[in-house]
Amino acid sequence: MLTIAVSKGRIYEEALPFLAEAGIVPTDDPDKCRKLILQTTRPDVQLVIIRATDVPTFVEYGAADLGIAGKDVLLEHGTEALYEPLDLNIARCRLMTAAHKDAPPITGRVRVATKYVKTAQRYFASLGIQAEIIKLYGSMELAPLVGLADCIVDLVDTGNTLKANDLEPRELIMNISSRLVVNKAAMKMKNAAIAELLAQFEQTLAKR
Amino acid sequence: MQQKDSWLLPEGIEETLPAEAKHLEALRNKLLDSFACWGYDLVIPPFIDFLDSLLIGAGHDLDLQTFKLTDQISGEMLGIRADMTPQVARIDAHNLKHEWPTRLCYAGTVLHTRGDPLEKTRSPLQIGAELYGHGGKESDLEVICLMLEMLAVTGLQNVHLDLGHVGIYRALAEQAALSDAQESELFAILQRKAKPELLELMDGYALSDGLKHMFLALPELNGGQTVLDKASAVLAQASAAVKQALADLTAVAGQLAVRFPNLAISFDLAELRGYHYHTGIVFAAFVPTVGREIARGGRYDNIGKVFGRARPATGFSADLKLLSALSKQSFQMPPRELIFAPYLDDAGLTESIRDLRAQRRAVIQELPGQTGGAGEYGCTAILVQEQQRWVVKAL
Repeated sequence: MLTIAVSKGRIYEEALPFLAEAGIVPTDDPDKCRKLILQTTRPDVQLVIIRATDVPTFVEYGAADLGIAGKDVLLEHGTEALYEPLDLNIARCRLMTAAHKDAPPITGRVRVATKYVKTAQRYFASLGIQAEIIKLYGSMELAPLVGLADCIVDLVDTGNTLKANDLEPRELIMNISSRLVVNKAAMKMKNAAIAELLAQFEQTLAKR
Repeated sequence: MQQKDSWLLPEGIEETLPAEAKHLEALRNKLLDSFACWGYDLVIPPFIDFLDSLLIGAGHDLDLQTFKLTDQISGEMLGIRADMTPQVARIDAHNLKHEWPTRLCYAGTVLHTRGDPLEKTRSPLQIGAELYGHGGKESDLEVICLMLEMLAVTGLQNVHLDLGHVGIYRALAEQAALSDAQESELFAILQRKAKPELLELMDGYALSDGLKHMFLALPELNGGQTVLDKASAVLAQASAAVKQALADLTAVAGQLAVRFPNLAISFDLAELRGYHYHTGIVFAAFVPTVGREIARGGRYDNIGKVFGRARPATGFSADLKLLSALSKQSFQMPPRELIFAPYLDDAGLTESIRDLRAQRRAVIQELPGQTGGAGEYGCTAILVQEQQRWVVKAL
């Protein structure tokens, strides 16, 4: 039995074609039913539907053998305990800094609102800037407007939310896409099944 | 003052309660006994030691994992051991100084500054065995067999063995004349088998296509027996050291397949755990219910050099607490007889209890005015007086 952890929403939607090519089609729609474990058309494969930030944790513990997670989540979580053999090139966006459109360029110490605490810390450190990080769980765009932070670090897709709040994207930290991650023990103990799945995903990737 | 949370233990530190402790101690005995049957002598290194000798040959990781304090007598830094292997290597190199192969085993608590990401514990009970003074694959085979024996004695089934050889990556890195920074960058990526990042990195390196091709193949060289054939094809241009490493792995795997026909063996030529420390064949054991290895080991030649003598070395270790928890799932120890005796000022009773205990039978004697009795203690028998004699009666 292979268990694949996927988060609801965009990653799930965009991962479905990959799964379908490997003969894996969920028998339920996670938006319509409240099940957290989805059976699929392949009796030896099930999906668990969890929050994006929980995917690396589930896979690390072996609660799921594989997972599909954004590079942003993996970077923040740290992936020494995982394998990440494949870039699925889906759910693409950019991890950026953003600030009020009239804000002056950063000098000296900076206050940053983000949910990517470690990533932001590392990024500013690499620029030689001392950053004070304020951890928020959502609505990052609000922070510069109310004087909570000088800038934010967040995912940017279309940039519309930023624009609507008088913010503008500044520096690109990293291009983000979703990766396939594998539990280290599963990679060894279920090697044949996982290698087959990896090969199928790679084929699908090559066709795109 | 009784603080509200005074019962709380530090994170990752746990106490072992009677039922678990009994199981764990029984298992510890059984394991050390089977090590002894293979000729491995028990040593008990100190819990605290000079930091320098604890960190011999070890990488930055072990440094981070070690609790440190200052010795008020010598002014030196002391460390609480986070791994017993360097201490055991010192015993071999400095104290025993045998010219022949030396076999040692150990079991004791180690402390880690950071909890294991999965088990969360910071105080594993490390148990292991080390074989010094033989550099050939035969000694690798012996310690792998002993590790499998340990898991068999623990009562674990469906054990899966993973084999690797850090010499392959080491030789390739040498052949490519990578700088230290490049080598550690590449190392971090290979540890995660992050192929997309590896491709990007290789683009930036000025290496021959042949070498790039070999590095790029590494994350895929894992799986069953076929991996070794694939590796000898893919790594055909590699140095003699790589070929020797592959030949050794093949030989050891062949021997293991003969000795353990039902053992699942896989290979992973990009497995670099303990890379800074290991020098040859590395191995790890997995079981289906645990998301990481439950025992691991490998070759670490010449670590004893700083203690006066460079010796080939190989060995393995495991967390006895984890093994005990796993073995508890698979088998229960038979319940032991426990006799409850009343409190009486009676010479016959006192003598009878003494005799029973001398026969290694467990007796709990009641205390005057206590609450609870045979039932509460889970006793299986009571001591009663019948016709002037004290006899054990089953409950």
